[in-house]
Amino acid sequence: MALESFDSKESAEGRVLVPRGTFWRLLRYLLPRWPRLAVALGALGAATAADVLQPILVKIFLDQYLIPRHFPRGPLIELASAYLALIGLMAAFTAVQLLLFEVLALDVVQQLRVDLFDTIQRLPLAYFDRTPVGVLVSRVTNDTEAILEMFMSVLAAFIQNASLLVGVVVAMFALDARLALAMLILFPVFGAIMWLYQRISSPLFYAARHRLSLLNAKLNESLQGMALIQHMRQVGRWRADFHAVNDAYRAVRYRNTQVNGVLLRPLTEVVYLFTLMGVLAYFGTRSLTAAVNVGVLYAFVSYLSRFFEPVNNILQRLNSFQQAMVSAARVFQILDDPGWRPLPVGDEHPKITAGEVRFEDVSFSYDGEHDVLRHVSFTVKPGQTVALVGHTGSGKSTTMNVLLRFYPLERGRITIDGHDLRTFDEEELRRKMALVLQDPFLFVGDVASNIRLGTPGIDDAAIERAARLVQLDRFLSRWPLGYQTPVGERGATLSTGQRQLISFARAMARNPVILVLDEATASVDTETEEAIQEALAKMREGRTTLIIAHRLSTIQDADLILVFSHGEVVERGTHQELLRQRGLYYAMYRLQSGEMWAPGAS
Amino acid sequence: MWFFRQHRRRYATGIAFLGLTSFVGLIPPAIVGMVVNRVVRHQVTPRFLMWSLSAIFVVAVFSYGFRYLWRTRLYGGAILLGTALRDRLFEHFTTLSPEFYHAHRIGDLMAHATNDVQAIQETAGDGVFMMVDAVISGVVVIATMAIAISWPLTLIALLPLPLLALIMAYYGRLLHERFTTAQAAFSDINDRVQEYISGIRVVRAFGQEAAEREMFVQLSREVVAKNVAVARIDALFDPTITVIAGLSYFLAVAVGAVFVVHGAMTLGSLTTFTLYLGQLIWPMMAFGFVFNIVERGSASYDRVKHLLDTQATVKERPQALEALPAGTLTYHVPSFSYPGSATPALRDIRLAVREGWTLGIVGRTGAGKTTLFRLLLREFDLEAGDITLGGVSIYAYRLDALRAVIGYAPQDPFLFSLSIRDNIAFRHPDADDEAIVRVAKLAAVHDDIVSLPKGYATVVGERGMTLSGGQKQRISLARALLGDPPILVLDDTLSSVDAKTEALIVQHLRDARRGRTTLIASHRLSAVEHADWIIVLEDGRLVEQGTHRDLLAQAGRYRDMYERQQLERLVEQGGRMDGS
Repeated sequence: MALESFDSKESAEGRVLVPRGTFWRLLRYLLPRWPRLAVALGALGAATAADVLQPILVKIFLDQYLIPRHFPRGPLIELASAYLALIGLMAAFTAVQLLLFEVLALDVVQQLRVDLFDTIQRLPLAYFDRTPVGVLVSRVTNDTEAILEMFMSVLAAFIQNASLLVGVVVAMFALDARLALAMLILFPVFGAIMWLYQRISSPLFYAARHRLSLLNAKLNESLQGMALIQHMRQVGRWRADFHAVNDAYRAVRYRNTQVNGVLLRPLTEVVYLFTLMGVLAYFGTRSLTAAVNVGVLYAFVSYLSRFFEPVNNILQRLNSFQQAMVSAARVFQILDDPGWRPLPVGDEHPKITAGEVRFEDVSFSYDGEHDVLRHVSFTVKPGQTVALVGHTGSGKSTTMNVLLRFYPLERGRITIDGHDLRTFDEEELRRKMALVLQDPFLFVGDVASNIRLGTPGIDDAAIERAARLVQLDRFLSRWPLGYQTPVGERGATLSTGQRQLISFARAMARNPVILVLDEATASVDTETEEAIQEALAKMREGRTTLIIAHRLSTIQDADLILVFSHGEVVERGTHQELLRQRGLYYAMYRLQSGEMWAPGAS
Repeated sequence: MWFFRQHRRRYATGIAFLGLTSFVGLIPPAIVGMVVNRVVRHQVTPRFLMWSLSAIFVVAVFSYGFRYLWRTRLYGGAILLGTALRDRLFEHFTTLSPEFYHAHRIGDLMAHATNDVQAIQETAGDGVFMMVDAVISGVVVIATMAIAISWPLTLIALLPLPLLALIMAYYGRLLHERFTTAQAAFSDINDRVQEYISGIRVVRAFGQEAAEREMFVQLSREVVAKNVAVARIDALFDPTITVIAGLSYFLAVAVGAVFVVHGAMTLGSLTTFTLYLGQLIWPMMAFGFVFNIVERGSASYDRVKHLLDTQATVKERPQALEALPAGTLTYHVPSFSYPGSATPALRDIRLAVREGWTLGIVGRTGAGKTTLFRLLLREFDLEAGDITLGGVSIYAYRLDALRAVIGYAPQDPFLFSLSIRDNIAFRHPDADDEAIVRVAKLAAVHDDIVSLPKGYATVVGERGMTLSGGQKQRISLARALLGDPPILVLDDTLSSVDAKTEALIVQHLRDARRGRTTLIASHRLSAVEHADWIIVLEDGRLVEQGTHRDLLAQAGRYRDMYERQQLERLVEQGGRMDGS
């Protein structure tokens, strides 16, 4: 039963539809690099020619000197030196072309990666909401890596092998056109083998990949939840599950080995031997009636073994080729995504000066079906603090998201200092408006780099000022490395409160006109909590502040409190006014203050 | 290695077939040589031709069979080995205690179970094949060349070949080193992209796009540079083979020609000889590769073996009790420190919880609340002191018996990628729907679940489906509640649940847990106020205990906390007074 579900998933996930032209589109990346490609091809041609000439030299030696027992010193030394020189040249050209092809491949993939990155930069945030991080990361790294593999080993090998094949065929024609013509039959034979192999092995290949990813997912999850699995006495069940997944992987791998055993090297070896029979039969029957040139026989036999090597190589790489095409299709899918983040409209280039924020009848929906904001209107005068409160999903965060122009607004209007939000340049918006997220996202680096981010205008003095303002310095002074204290992945080395303070400092270092703040809900220790509250008060001084408050105690002195419910502003006013109304705000406040637990309440 | 012993026959036959493959591979060149000789002497007869062609045909048939057989034997064996190793590792992982999981990163363990097992599998497949093939074909071909054709010529022609093995081994090592660096650069860029996309809102809110792009471009250039270093070595393999094999050919043809002239050998033998020479290049290269593969494989094997040798720190006593523990829970912990930590996590804890009581545990993060639970759950064992249930040490019971009586909802509500139903039924996979809905209602998550498009069948973590922290916590609570365990342990399980829902759940718990022991740790006092007994922990010490009323009367830390949490209430009352 478990197995069946894997198989049904395989068809859904394991096989991606590769649109026609994907391969050519990939090749087009080579076009701008044509000079290097030309050199690589030239070197390849030279190396192949040198390779193909070798047996001919031996043939000349056999036919003209060894068999007639004729050994003139000079020409023989020339022949020997020519042979050795040929080997040297071939080695050198081979090295050059191999390296050039690999560098070309790396270059193309670098270009693809940067293109992808640029596309990701322009995609709207909605894209990231519906695409898991891991998937996108995998597109930028793993899929491009598969394409690299394709360019490096498959495409390069294909060109190299094809040119060797052509060289060998040409040489064969030069030696004996009739026999060479007969040898051409081999091409459809190879084609048939390739087609057959591909037909049979590619489903197995995908199945193997898919089952491996299931295996890894199972393992990862089991390791993460091992304590629970043990506590809840499910070790036996989990072992059996893992065994089933592991065995499903084994089965498909084993089948793959069998198919390889039937169709790869063993089969081409048989074809080789049959061809050898043909060649011997040809020369043998000819020698019954006429004299046969032994040198040609030698050369043919020797070409024959060269002839089969490229075919083996190409066969073995068919699967990675397929995989690369799937990866390329996925990559192009992102590159072709029509989504754009909201861009500035018109050429007014307004500036944010006073910081007056107005929402005029704003409605918004993420999915086009369910409105998350309904007819929201309010005004924040310069320097005022407005608090947004409400239950989860009431629309507070969405209000922030549209104000920050993370999502395009279609109904209603938002203005800053009287200008439509849509007309602001990206840079102006980001410089004058700072955001503190509920989950303060920290980057790997140190404290200073997390405050500065990549903004060049922020010097050390500005960082220190900001850190002092938000009371971060009281912790920094205690840490031996101060501002250079390293920050691990997602700030894991720091406490929640410390992370919060760093993200405060990050916002303050930019001295924004408008501060947008999503208060953290996570509980922190008293000392940090005090620091945070003091910092919050200071940060609000002299700037327009919009704050999503989870703890009503922090925003009692706000100039305006908006109470959200199901996307609408249902109550508005100051703390005192709202308490007097005895409405939703009052109820929320009562709940938070814990009165409910007092005996007799509710 | 146990595996090879277990699969002795598979390997023996695989190696035998490989040997046979090399052996029949010797025949076609010999036949070609004979044909050449006859052609030169004009002695080709139709009978001879038929005979030699049928010989090659027979060889072709056998060679196909042998090749297929050795491949499926040896490579198939390697796959079996990999599968068996993974199973073993997994089984071993399931026996290890949390201490092990604290000391190792999941990513590293994953790497062992995938990359290391893969490397071992390769050693057992490619490695064994190359080694055996190199030895067999090497020896067979050289012997044939030396005995059947000419040993002086063999010696001369072979002169350059050992060099090939040496150089291949050298390249292989260089390549591996550079490849490792390239992999590291790749993993850097991977981490970076991961971070960038996770932090996309911050990047956009602060207009960091240009800086991020620059960093990305620089990192991806780094990747290119490291890979070019790999390519430089990579590009040397083929030319080196060309040169050395070419030299060997040259020596063979040149010196062979002298032998032919002096009548020491025929032209046909020389042709055969050069064909054999071609067959030797591969074994020589293989020798070079084998060293590296075996080296990597044995390093991986050592790592896996080390893991398999790790012993669980929590062990059952011999003749541990099968019976289910029950009764009063007591703690006597003079001192407990986590392994590798100098400061004790708990000190001087003496505590008794009567059967059926609810115990509330409050204190700051790091005060020791979770540690108290971990000791009861035997994630870690005490070195001194004891924990008893009904007067019997918990260490006297079988782990399974102890776990059977405890339901546990940890701080981090880890859910598995199963349906919500199966997650709730995790402890009791055959629970009926009625029981599952009952606990979901107790945990106040039933309404949330049925409002999802697929309801209880919703698979956790499936694309486009995210549960909030509070929902996860409540599902985790429902999971712990299922089966009405005699002891229920809630480790700050409701921290992300809003106050109203928390109140509802606490109310449900009071009814549902009547007569059963419940341990609740919480930041919020509201979750423990009703408890029969409350303890306050600070820096691993039990600083206060009593009922809610007692503790308020004590005017100590509990009272402080209570007052702080009531502060808002006081402010509100003040506000109301101002207003009216």
